[in-house]
Amino acid sequence: MDESLMILTRLMMGIGHLALILVAAPLLQGLIKTSKAFWQMRQGPSILQPYRDLRKLMKKEELISEHASWIFLLTPRIALASTLMAALVIPNAWGWAPLNGWGDIFLFGASLGLVRLFSTLSGLEGAGTFGGMGSSRELFVGLLTEPALLLGLIVLAFMTQTTSLQGITTELQSISPILPPRLLVLIALGMVSIAEMGRIPVDNPDTHLELTMIHEGMLLEYSGPSLALLSFAEQIKQFLLLSLLAQIVWPSGLISGSNGLLALLGALGFAGIKVAVLGLFFATVESFFVKRRLFLLPGYLATSAAAAILALVSLWFVRGQI
Amino acid sequence: MVNKGSHIVRQLFMSLSIALAGAGLVWGITTTRGGDWVKTGLRFFTGEGAGLALSWKLDGLTVFFLCILLLGQGFSSLYALGYLKEYEEKKKSLWPFYANWFLFLGSMFGVLLADDGFSFLFTWEMMSLFSFFLVLYEHEEPQNRKSAYIYFVMTHVGTVFLTAATLFLYTKTGSFAFEVWADAVPTLTTIQLNLVFIAFFIGLGTKAGFVPFHIWLPYAHSAAPSPVSSLMSGVMVKVALYLFLRLVWLTLGPGPVWWGWLFLLVGALSATVGILSASVQLDLKKLLAFSTIENVGILGMALGSAFLARSWKNDVAMDLALIAFFWHALQHMLFKSLLFMGAGNIIQATHTRNLERLGGLLKRMPKTGFGALIGIIGITALPPLGGFWGEVILFQSLWLNTSNLANGWSKVLLPLFSGVLALVGGLSMATFVKWFGISFLGQARSPVAERAKEANPVQYITPILVSGLAVLSVLWPAATLALIDLPLSVLRNGTAVGIGSSIGKPLNMSSVYLIIFSLLTFVVVILSKRGNRRVTATWNCGSPLTPSMQYTATGLTKPIRILFSKVLGSHREVERDFGETRYSLHSLGYEGRIKDVFEHIFYRPLIQGVLWLASQIRKLQEGSIHLYLGYLLITVIVVLILGR
Repeated sequence: MDESLMILTRLMMGIGHLALILVAAPLLQGLIKTSKAFWQMRQGPSILQPYRDLRKLMKKEELISEHASWIFLLTPRIALASTLMAALVIPNAWGWAPLNGWGDIFLFGASLGLVRLFSTLSGLEGAGTFGGMGSSRELFVGLLTEPALLLGLIVLAFMTQTTSLQGITTELQSISPILPPRLLVLIALGMVSIAEMGRIPVDNPDTHLELTMIHEGMLLEYSGPSLALLSFAEQIKQFLLLSLLAQIVWPSGLISGSNGLLALLGALGFAGIKVAVLGLFFATVESFFVKRRLFLLPGYLATSAAAAILALVSLWFVRGQI
Repeated sequence: MVNKGSHIVRQLFMSLSIALAGAGLVWGITTTRGGDWVKTGLRFFTGEGAGLALSWKLDGLTVFFLCILLLGQGFSSLYALGYLKEYEEKKKSLWPFYANWFLFLGSMFGVLLADDGFSFLFTWEMMSLFSFFLVLYEHEEPQNRKSAYIYFVMTHVGTVFLTAATLFLYTKTGSFAFEVWADAVPTLTTIQLNLVFIAFFIGLGTKAGFVPFHIWLPYAHSAAPSPVSSLMSGVMVKVALYLFLRLVWLTLGPGPVWWGWLFLLVGALSATVGILSASVQLDLKKLLAFSTIENVGILGMALGSAFLARSWKNDVAMDLALIAFFWHALQHMLFKSLLFMGAGNIIQATHTRNLERLGGLLKRMPKTGFGALIGIIGITALPPLGGFWGEVILFQSLWLNTSNLANGWSKVLLPLFSGVLALVGGLSMATFVKWFGISFLGQARSPVAERAKEANPVQYITPILVSGLAVLSVLWPAATLALIDLPLSVLRNGTAVGIGSSIGKPLNMSSVYLIIFSLLTFVVVILSKRGNRRVTATWNCGSPLTPSMQYTATGLTKPIRILFSKVLGSHREVERDFGETRYSLHSLGYEGRIKDVFEHIFYRPLIQGVLWLASQIRKLQEGSIHLYLGYLLITVIVVLILGR
């Protein structure tokens, strides 16, 4: 009886965790769009526009290419579900993640990998050039980001002696925020996050020009509810990456012992502010740079991997283990 | 009328093969026990005590690999039941195929059971020989004859090293038995031990497909008929890896630390080179064969991590690395069989292996496509399927190995291998998106692809069965772990294995993940079922869409090809023929080529050296009678001196 109650509680908490992410992700997107509009000196859309877009798309008719197969319709569903699986390992405002065992740092990247597999396959579904171009570039960027992402997370795992993201955020609270390896990891993961979010200088989320697009190229054939699901999955992915970064910069959770409703809300508010500030930061970064050519990206992502390796070396130096 | 008879023969033989595999598996499940299951010997020429004994042993390690062998045999035979039909229709005699099929399977069985050097070498050579015949089955194609020849040469180079090591140990101990060897290892000097290790490493590594001994593998595995390819890639390379455990781990003992590093390094090299070569391949089956090299590399890295953990006395990391090894070996067998079966169906439907001529097959062969899709998710090591969990355990083992080291540069070096593994993961995604996407999605790129028809029912049912087993192994990890427990306890000298406890428990995550993922997908599918759907043309800026507008297989991985052009040895030649001005072009020619770097740098000079030596030796025999008389004179003098 007691045990089933525990399982039920955990289940409810897990659903709450996902619900929070589902609600917050479009808001973050709206915030980023608004702040980009500010830098471009124009009147941007309302901060709630992403919600309206999603609702509108869900109601629309869906056009499917005559060459597409069932994978075309499966992809958006898998993309959303798999992104939510990645969400299960990210510690939330209260420092808790529904899936927290050893090795879940590997789960995060791999769940996003499944999204990438299906979306690149769907890029080839329409039999047009744009989709294939998007897939080809996405695969290329993907193989470059993966080592940097993994190495960055592994260094954090060494720093905190655990391979669970929940454990990492808990342990990071007792580590100095200006420890050199920690700063280097932050650089590495920050650069990777830009690539994973599909933002400048890697990709431009706002254009549909064949020369510049990666992610949008794959989605070109989508419309209606499927497009809504894919954009939603992308917004969630962006939210996850930023909240992970936020937890690394300034890890916070619920301080045990203060379990009142006020403390719960306080932690939530603090986490919200952290993510929002990071969102503003990346929007600003994006406004000040230009998109780079595809073949300049290996250099960019190699820098990020190098930062992760330097973080590793400096970690052992700081600890006096080399 | 001949057709009718051969029809029955085919069903009879393949059913026999399936029945044998099934019986073996059932026997294995019902008689699980610890320690040595069966130990027996056959004695020959037993005159004065020193007769020749062929001894056989069945312990947990053997049982695990037998399980892989029997599963592979069962599935491949079931698949062959449909696949061989085409040969009957072409009136090609299948008798050599049946004979070699059973002899090949039997010799692999023998290698797994062999408990002494002599039976090992004997069955090993049989395995090479009969697989060679199977590779040569479609000998009408000159390409296949070349492939088989390369295989034959390389496998014998490997055997030379194995024979040398075996005979050396025999002269040292006076026995072929592995047990006697293991006891005698402490008496060897360090140099002798290392030399024996290197000989085993080269000999077994050749069969496993470690870089740089891999050059035969893509030729041979892709030239054989598809059921045989799936056996060779899924099972035969595992047999070679099994011997690493039997001969190096159990017989030569812990060994120095550099053995572990060698495995790790060669593994990482094989994984990277294998998958890089695969990513630029255009041949449906050669791509899969290169990916086998990649997976053997990953298995090699697991072995390396296990060896290192053993030398550093890190038991948890060692257990994890070994679990990763066995888990991945099993999963790779399943997924590689799936993919080779998919490739076989495509080849029979279109009679081409060139990716550039395929396309749009998912609509024409939906059931084959489904099996292949499961296969690519598994082989690219993505959740929720099994390929991923093996890599997670390997990552965890490398991580533990590093964090438990007191100090030293190894702490920087080891995590880099995780980075390599991640790069390999990204490359394999690109490779298999290309393999699946170009052949199954989009529009047909040639008339043969347009006319393709779904294969025989048995040829798509088998892959679906394999997928079912792959899903089951993740959904019920306890059963898979119980199977892995068998070899693990042998490798740990029979001591208690904590697999049910702290190490194995987190693996139950695999079923939790799969269940939550399926539920979430289901919920999303239900919730998003609304609105109308209309089928229209693909948007193409207003102009009509032709099949040649699609991305090609070459184009899809072109960025990889450009980035890694040094490693891949890729180069392009563009020929422009201008008209009067530089702005009007008469003709444009493009040629891109990939040369096998290892063949170029490593094997060409070697072969040229051998040929040069041969031509020097030939000077001894130039047909001059005076020279021969001179040889006779010298011989007589030498004999006289020696016989003095």
